[in-house]
Amino acid sequence: MVIYILRRLLALVPVVLIMSIVVFLIIYLIPGDPARVMLGDGADESTIQELRQQMGLNYPLLEQYGRWIGNAVQGDLGRSFFLQQPVSTAIREHLAPTLSLALFAQFIAVLIAIPLGVRAAVNRGGLADKTLNAYSLLGISVPGFLLSLFFVLVFAVRLKWFPVSGFAPLHEGIGSFLKFMFLPALSIGIVMSSLTARIVKASMLEVLHEGFVKTALSKGLRQNTIIYKHVLRNALIPILTVVGGSFGTLVAGAAVIETIFNIPGLGQMLVHAVERRDYAVIQGMVLFIAIVYVAVNLAVDLLYAVVDPRIRLQ
Amino acid sequence: MTDSTVQEGKQQARRTSLIHSQPVRRFMANRTAVIGGVLMLLLIAASLLSPWLARFEPQAVDVVSRLKPPSVKHWFGTDNLGRDVFSRTLNGTKISIQVGLTVALVSSAAGLVIGLYSAYYRRLDQVLMRIMDGIFAFPAVLLAMAMMAALGPNVSNLMICLSIVFTPAVARIVRSSALVVKEQTYIEAMRALGASRTRILWLHIMPGTLSPLIVQGSFVFAESIIVEAALSFLGAGIPAPMPSLGNLLSEGKQFIYNSWWMTLFPGFALILSVLAMNWFGDGLRDMLDPHARTKRKRSRKGSMEKNTSDNNNEKVSSATQASS
Amino acid sequence: MASENLLEIKALQTHFHTEAGKVSAVDGVSLAVGAGEIVGIVGESGCGKSVTAQSILRLLDEKSQASYSGEIHFEGVDLLKLSQRQMRGVRGNDISMIFQDPLSSLNPLLTIGEQITETIRSHRKFSRKNAWQEAVRLLRLTGIPAPERRVHEYPHQLSGGMRQRVMIAIALACEPKLLIADEPTTALDVTIQAQIMDLIAKLNRELGMSVLLITHDLGVVAEVCHRVAVMYAGQIVETADVATLFREPQHPYTVGLLQSIPSLDRDRAKPLQAVEGFVPALHQLPKGCRFAPRCPHADARCHAVMPLLEAKGSLGSQARCWHSEALSQKEAVGHA
Repeated sequence: MVIYILRRLLALVPVVLIMSIVVFLIIYLIPGDPARVMLGDGADESTIQELRQQMGLNYPLLEQYGRWIGNAVQGDLGRSFFLQQPVSTAIREHLAPTLSLALFAQFIAVLIAIPLGVRAAVNRGGLADKTLNAYSLLGISVPGFLLSLFFVLVFAVRLKWFPVSGFAPLHEGIGSFLKFMFLPALSIGIVMSSLTARIVKASMLEVLHEGFVKTALSKGLRQNTIIYKHVLRNALIPILTVVGGSFGTLVAGAAVIETIFNIPGLGQMLVHAVERRDYAVIQGMVLFIAIVYVAVNLAVDLLYAVVDPRIRLQ
Repeated sequence: MTDSTVQEGKQQARRTSLIHSQPVRRFMANRTAVIGGVLMLLLIAASLLSPWLARFEPQAVDVVSRLKPPSVKHWFGTDNLGRDVFSRTLNGTKISIQVGLTVALVSSAAGLVIGLYSAYYRRLDQVLMRIMDGIFAFPAVLLAMAMMAALGPNVSNLMICLSIVFTPAVARIVRSSALVVKEQTYIEAMRALGASRTRILWLHIMPGTLSPLIVQGSFVFAESIIVEAALSFLGAGIPAPMPSLGNLLSEGKQFIYNSWWMTLFPGFALILSVLAMNWFGDGLRDMLDPHARTKRKRSRKGSMEKNTSDNNNEKVSSATQASS
Repeated sequence: MASENLLEIKALQTHFHTEAGKVSAVDGVSLAVGAGEIVGIVGESGCGKSVTAQSILRLLDEKSQASYSGEIHFEGVDLLKLSQRQMRGVRGNDISMIFQDPLSSLNPLLTIGEQITETIRSHRKFSRKNAWQEAVRLLRLTGIPAPERRVHEYPHQLSGGMRQRVMIAIALACEPKLLIADEPTTALDVTIQAQIMDLIAKLNRELGMSVLLITHDLGVVAEVCHRVAVMYAGQIVETADVATLFREPQHPYTVGLLQSIPSLDRDRAKPLQAVEGFVPALHQLPKGCRFAPRCPHADARCHAVMPLLEAKGSLGSQARCWHSEALSQKEAVGHA
């Protein structure tokens, strides 16, 4: 089990390394001197030099990367010139709305995807299957931010069931949190669920051919027991992989949606950073997403072990 | 472009499949694919003909008729500066298709080269594919946005960023199908006969990767339209006065309370473009993708086996079957 | 006679709906299993013996793939007329089944105990605790050492033979009157095969449980079965007592199967005889006798007209052959 976790961890190292290099190199895409670009034309030379010093631009490239990644490992993602605070602090302050939105959306996605995918697999060619086909095409063709604009048009502007925008943190009461979060979470959740439902169906279909399904049937178990206790449980590993693997996309999607609903999360912070060319924040944010990616992947690996005793007991 | 793709598809089909007309027939039989292809052609035609179709310049300001709902004069209404939303939507679609097509072509070309060489040279594979995996692990919108922030917002930068973001997806697909072709006996034979590596790679392995490449390319097309719209919407894509769909939606958002047409019509144009490409890609995959094809064949074989035999698939003569 | 039989299959047909059209994997099979009896069904792969077995419990997908006709009477009730709900009450309760590959037949994610108790608790009103005690008892009954520990283990922690014992324990959970064993030893080592067959025979003796044994192995049939049916291309071509079948086979296919068994006292210089050719595909069956294309005795009539399953010989055999009278005389001469 320990070996299993270590091996998984080791497999993620090269990906993280590449991701960090990509993030680091982003700043070198800037045409000209980053410090000059950030400060604009009117800046005086001493301010520019100060910023260059602060960004570490005067060191050789490799050393810059070494310093940057060394600090990042210790949780120091640099300092935002515009926010006048460490990037890690800024991320922490903006994390809760994004994370709660992403999790809520994930919850909705799973709530839709599992029953739909299961029904579609069990009753191939039936109503659920046809629905799934149309639904999944819709899901990959309608971006979440557009769906949420449509939802705002219908449910907020026309029907006035929900507020057009805004945010209330969870600790101020679940009611107001849901009121503000429902539309954004629903639009991300629907897009996510179309992908997940397809995986649920494919994974279920594989397992439905397994011998133990016939055994379960020959035992005289109820259909729902067979489907949920035996088939779905065995189909869970590919489903978990997809759900986990798409969490980064989910957070990114949440970031985009935030700007529509005016939710003070990472997305808004990122958009402002892009407007201001606040590269420390941009780099820090993207690196943070990379870390989230790795963390979720590890969590998924651990979940495999929870689901499958063959991994747990090896 | 659709024609040339179908043409390529035909050649591909003639080369690989048993009955060369069958894939094309299957494509025609696949109604959604045909609808997708036709829809795409219509959208391309409409966006190219927009100067004649629309009676207004996309940028023509008319302060007197601001925020007018759809009418006979302005089919999709007007925006906050009195510009014709219909004309702007057509132009936005044109920009989206331009971006989508360019990104699909560039990332397909880059992905093809990277995928082929990684499949063939093992040491190169270690380096290139690790890099591809690293880029692939980022959410597309986020990485493109970060790069755009550095490069500065304009159309060609956007195309560069999106091409970088989508190359890994293509490279992975090309690599895996090239690996399959590489293992085949005739490639071994070619190598034994002393054919040059470049020749083997481009004349013999590359054609085998074309079908998945084309399919993946069509999905990249669709996906890059979405990401472009998202980036422009967030102000990190195509700069504001240009009527891209993302910019139209962003403007529409500001007036969402009373001018629904500013959001609805560009939104539908976006959905239609992406849907058309996805339909088309699905159809192509059904037609070309050898994996999907063998899978279907296998399942058919499987169901037959289940019906005709008891437990073992092999029909061995009775000597081995009935001996103890 | 009919009232004594626990299971009586009459003219069972099992159809599959394929792309090539409707085919009958089981075509007019009639078979009876008496109380406490062990009946074997033998035949090559693809002859329809497994489909017959699964048809009894109606395990095939009736929604899209398969349909049945004929009658399957179990204790006088026609199973083919039951609703899915009523059928659920029969499965695992009155009739249970074990399969060829115990590894794939067990759910890898659930403990042995969970898999046994879920059967018990879906048919009997047992508390969770009592069901687990019962599971331990069943495991002990099937000869698994340290059942108190094994009950908490997962299938991958057991050996192949142990897994098949677990399958048997699951099958025994509700004391069924009939056990259908579908190639229960095919996937196991030779030494384990004998142990599992011994266990099935013992359970038959001690619990009075009838067994329908599906196998391609005539050696197994000879050891444990009372009666046997030989299947070919979806039909029964011969049924007889085990002793009669081995002494006086009536059908050329049975003769072929018997000759292909290796034995120690045979002439080693002579090659082991195989039945030449292959089982015909279901959508292109011959018009006459289905075995005719492979049969050494086939003549014009065999190719044109399908023979019926009729009484042959003096010992109560039934065979589906135009030539069996002549054949048995020739056999007798050969033996003398």
